[in-house]
Amino acid sequence: MTIFIDLYSEGNTFLHRLDPRVKIISVLLLSLLAFVLSTVYSLAALLAFIFLLLFLSRASMGRTWFALRFVLRFMALIVILWPIFDPAGTPVWAELGPVKVTEPAVWRGITSAVRVGCLACVWYILMFTTAQRDLVRALVRMGLRFDYGLTLAISLRFFPSFMATISSITDAQKARGLDFNRGGLIKRSKKHVAVLVPAVVAALRTADSLSLALQSRAYGARTDRTYMRQLKMRTFDYVALTIVTMLFIVPLTAKYLFLVHF
Amino acid sequence: MTVVPSTHGERLAAFENVNFSYEDGTEALRGITLDIRKGEQIALVGGNGSGKTTLAKHLNGLLKPTTGRVIVKGSDTRKEQVANLARIVGYVFQNPDHQLFCSTVAEEVRFGPMNFGLAEPEVERRTERALEIMTLERLKAEAPLSLSLGDRRRISIASVIAMAPEVIILDEPFTGLDAGEAESLMDVMREMNRQGTTIILITHDMRVVAEHSDRVIVLSHGRKVFDSKTRTAFSDLKLLRECGLIPPPAIQVAHHLREYGVSPEITTVEELADELARVLREQQ
Ligand SMILES: Nc1ncnc2c1ncn2[C@@H]1O[C@H](COP(=O)(O)OP(=O)(O)O)[C@@H](O)[C@H]1O
Ligand SMILES: [Mg+2]
Repeated sequence: MTIFIDLYSEGNTFLHRLDPRVKIISVLLLSLLAFVLSTVYSLAALLAFIFLLLFLSRASMGRTWFALRFVLRFMALIVILWPIFDPAGTPVWAELGPVKVTEPAVWRGITSAVRVGCLACVWYILMFTTAQRDLVRALVRMGLRFDYGLTLAISLRFFPSFMATISSITDAQKARGLDFNRGGLIKRSKKHVAVLVPAVVAALRTADSLSLALQSRAYGARTDRTYMRQLKMRTFDYVALTIVTMLFIVPLTAKYLFLVHF
Repeated sequence: MTVVPSTHGERLAAFENVNFSYEDGTEALRGITLDIRKGEQIALVGGNGSGKTTLAKHLNGLLKPTTGRVIVKGSDTRKEQVANLARIVGYVFQNPDHQLFCSTVAEEVRFGPMNFGLAEPEVERRTERALEIMTLERLKAEAPLSLSLGDRRRISIASVIAMAPEVIILDEPFTGLDAGEAESLMDVMREMNRQGTTIILITHDMRVVAEHSDRVIVLSHGRKVFDSKTRTAFSDLKLLRECGLIPPPAIQVAHHLREYGVSPEITTVEELADELARVLREQQ
């Protein structure tokens, strides 16, 4: 469960060292780029580039596979379903009753699947190489209010333990003979009350003691707080940012100014 | 000092070379083989993360072995629903707040027997009895969440007693209880045990282990490193220390006085006093 919310693993690649603000902006630009590009070839090139970055991030095979499994399944689903819901164009490759599969539709499906792959992988790189605290710090430096940043950090921090609590509560009720697989729909949903109530109570108790802990450590005492680690852009960060910006701007201008079809 | 021979009855549960790994690869149990017999009072001890909870959860099928088998009353837990095993094995979770959700204490205690689909008079009979055993009659109509942690824990125990299981597992039940509350809880468990219920107690309190169990199982890093009668369990101080366990003061004193002829095979302060008196009398 933990791995699902915190994909980060320690490392010392250039992707780990990059300023988190640069990473966030780059990821946003590359995501936008995935929407600007519209041919399967350019998107495949982008995907290849992103895969290269993913490889360079040195994320362990286990982690990468864990994350990619969902994406690949989703991509496969798009390729299969797209032609069924969008039968426009010729030539027709296959016809089965009301379902018509055309060549352009298949390509459109593949294009969208690759686009989804690009989007997912580029965000995975960010999650793989950036600690949650750095992400939050970057967002705060980029203008997010500190309170919201802290709230985000706390939610991310407590999500895994909350999931563990829910699983422990479910176990506790099963141990009292509660069988979630028996009974009709209404009966079954009623059974979830036995999990929901203790879960909410546990969350409120955590929130309560957490707010006490924050207050007793003088949270909110003054607004101009000091930060332990200052974020500082280095030459390397500027270079990286420039490269990604170029990567974004060149296809954009080519497409909208010179009407080249990418 | 003679060791009382075990007079325990039928085999209730058996672990046969059980290994268990969590999804993330943590090997929590390694090669566990043991029998649990009717009427035993077992203490399951070991450092934090040694696998006590994991082992206990195998008894009611919440966890199933990765390899090996767990047999409860003749059937493989892999083929049984937790809801069915709950009739045999009652599990009192470490945190009582993980199960309290009803608006009154009585409803909370009734929840288990109702899940078994028992007839209403039987449910009521069991509920009343469980409330009485845990001295909760007075709080019957109160809201569980408004009560103290000690009371909440007693409710969670009553809700398991009402299910009338043959085995009751108590997972670190003393957290948040004062000494008096802990003592009376163990008195209740001793009485339940006398009436035939098998008790498995998970705890770090070695004094309770010495005084209230007849068998000690020690886990360390998922392995069973020790399994013997309580009386002999505390004789190997070095082994205990390696497992992060420190015997209760009475037994430590007995160990220090070994050379004067004091037997370390004692379990309670009273027994230590008797033993010292015996040695002193002999010397006079
Ligand atoms: N849900 C879980 N997922 C992964 N590892 C777990 C989980 N629960 C416990 N563990 C690990 O399994 C080992 C044994 O845990 P546990 O049985 O809870 O020990 P104990 O009850 O003796 O403190 C520990 O290393 C613990 O970190
Ligand atoms: Mg435990």
